[in-house]
Amino acid sequence: MSFLSQMKTELGGRIREISVQRDRRVSGRTGKKDLRATVRRLVELEGYSHLSTITAVDVGSEIVVIYHIVNREALLSLRVRVSEEDPVLPTIVDLIPGAALYEREVHDLFGINFEGNSDLSPILLPDGWPEGVYPLRKEWTSKRISRRLKRRR
Amino acid sequence: MTAFQIPFGPQHPALEEPINFMFEVEEERVVNVTPRLGYIHRGIEKIGEGRTYLQNVYLAERICGICSFAHALCYTQAVEELLGVNIPERAKFIRTIMAEMERIQNHYLWLGFAAKEMGFETLFMYAWRDRETMLGVLEMISGKRVNYGMSTVGGVRRDITDTMKKDVEAKLNYLEKRAEYYRKVCTREQTVLERTVGVGILRPRDALNLCAVGPTLRASGIRRDVRADERYAAYGEAPFKVITYKNCDVASRIYVRIDEIFESIKIIRYALKNLPDGPFRVRAPPRVPEGEAVSIVEAPRGEDLHYVKSDGSEKPARWKVRAPTLANLPSLCKMLAGVNIADIPVVIAGIDPCIACAERVVLVDTKTRGRQVWTGEDLWRYANEWYRSR
Repeated sequence: MSFLSQMKTELGGRIREISVQRDRRVSGRTGKKDLRATVRRLVELEGYSHLSTITAVDVGSEIVVIYHIVNREALLSLRVRVSEEDPVLPTIVDLIPGAALYEREVHDLFGINFEGNSDLSPILLPDGWPEGVYPLRKEWTSKRISRRLKRRR
Repeated sequence: MTAFQIPFGPQHPALEEPINFMFEVEEERVVNVTPRLGYIHRGIEKIGEGRTYLQNVYLAERICGICSFAHALCYTQAVEELLGVNIPERAKFIRTIMAEMERIQNHYLWLGFAAKEMGFETLFMYAWRDRETMLGVLEMISGKRVNYGMSTVGGVRRDITDTMKKDVEAKLNYLEKRAEYYRKVCTREQTVLERTVGVGILRPRDALNLCAVGPTLRASGIRRDVRADERYAAYGEAPFKVITYKNCDVASRIYVRIDEIFESIKIIRYALKNLPDGPFRVRAPPRVPEGEAVSIVEAPRGEDLHYVKSDGSEKPARWKVRAPTLANLPSLCKMLAGVNIADIPVVIAGIDPCIACAERVVLVDTKTRGRQVWTGEDLWRYANEWYRSR
C-alpha cells in the first residue's frame, strides 16, 4: 500500500503503532505534543483533509481521543491519550476548520479542553448543565447523572 | 447601519431536528450565523452502552426517521466487522436495494421540502405524492413505511421475492418518469431558477476545509461518495456514477439529488436482476470479541459514521455516531453568511437538514432593544412577499 509507506516515511517519527486493521482502515497513535504537527503534515499530504469526526473513549484513568481522518485510499484513526485529571489537547481548528463542532462536542461530553479553540460553549448539552458532569465518562452512570440533576432542582 | 440579531428556531414539532440559529443581520444581509444544537439530544450513545449489540440495532434505526436504514446498516456493519462475520451475498444485495430505496424516498421528500421553502407549493405536493410510491414499495418489502427493521447483525431479516420484484420494477418505471419531469421543471421553471441559482454559495475550497459531506459536497464539484470509495454492501458490483455539479449553489444541490434518483434506480434494477441465490442471514454470536471498528456509509444526506468499541462483553463499551447533518453545519453557516434574509429558508433547506421551518423567529433591534416575534410562517411569508415585490 503506497499511502501506508508514504505515511511511515512522512510521519514515522510522529505516528507510532501504525497498523492496518483491514482494507481501507489504518490506525495509529500520536502524542499530545506531536498532534498539531501530525495533523498539519496530513493536511499537506494529498487529500488527508477530510475530518470525519472526533471520537473520545473513556478507558479508566485516561481518555483516548480519536481523530477519524479520511482520504481516497483509507480512513485513518489517529489516537491521542490524555489523562482524566488534566484533559487538555491543542486545538486543530485552524488546521481543519471543520473540526470546530466536533471539538465542542467532545468538550461537552468528555470535558476535554482544546487549547486555542475560542468557542467551547455547549453545543449538545442544555444551558445550565452542572459543571463537571461529563455524561460519556464512565464514572457518570445514567443513574448518577439523573441523581445529580434532581439535586439541582 | 442598524444591526439586528435574529434567533431562528429552535424547534418545530413537525421536524426531527430542532436547532437554533442566531443571525446577525445588516439591513437585508446576513453577516454572521451561530448555530446552537442540543434541543433533542437524547443521549443515544450513552443508552447504547447499557444495551446489547442486538438491541442497539433497533436503537440505531431510531436515530433518524428518514435515513433510518443508513444508521442501522452502518451500525450492523461495524458489529459484523468486530465479530468477523461474513454476511451472505444475497444480504449484501438486499441491503443495497434498501439503502437506495431509502435514498429515493429521501430525495423526493427533500425536493418537496425545498419546493415549499421557495413558495412552489404545487411542486411540493407532487413530490410528496410520488414519495408515497416509494414508501409503498418499502412497506411491501419490510412491512413498514419507516424504521424498516431490515438490517440486522448477520444479514437482513426479510427476503425480496420474485413477485415483489415485478411490482418494484413497475414502481421504478413510474418514479423514473417523474424524476425526468422534475428535472425539466427544476432546470426550466422560472420560480425555481429565481430562488436557487447563485443562492447559498459554497466554494469547493470551503466545502473541503469545512469537511462537508454528501450532496452538499458534490454540488460544490467535489467527487466524493462513500459508496464509490468504500464499496460496502454490493456497491463494488453495481455500476453507478457519482453525480457532481459545479455551480456551488442551491440549484446545484437540487440537480445533484435529482440525478442521484436516476442512479439509485439504476442500482436497484441491477441488484434485483443479479440478486444472488442462497440465505439472506447467518447466525451471529451475542458476545463480541474485544476490539474496535469504524464503519462509514453514504446516507441520503451524506457520510454517516459509526464507531463501536467492544470490551468483550455483550454490550458495547463505546458507540459513537456522527450523522451527516452535523458534518454539514459549518458549511451551512458559511453559505448563510452574505445571503438575504429572504433566502434563509431555501439555503437551510439546501443541505437537507429537516429544520428549515422554524417554530419562532425573534427580531431584535439592537438600537432600540425592540423585539418583534415572528413565527416560522411569518418568515416564510416574508420571504415569498419579498421575492414577489421585486
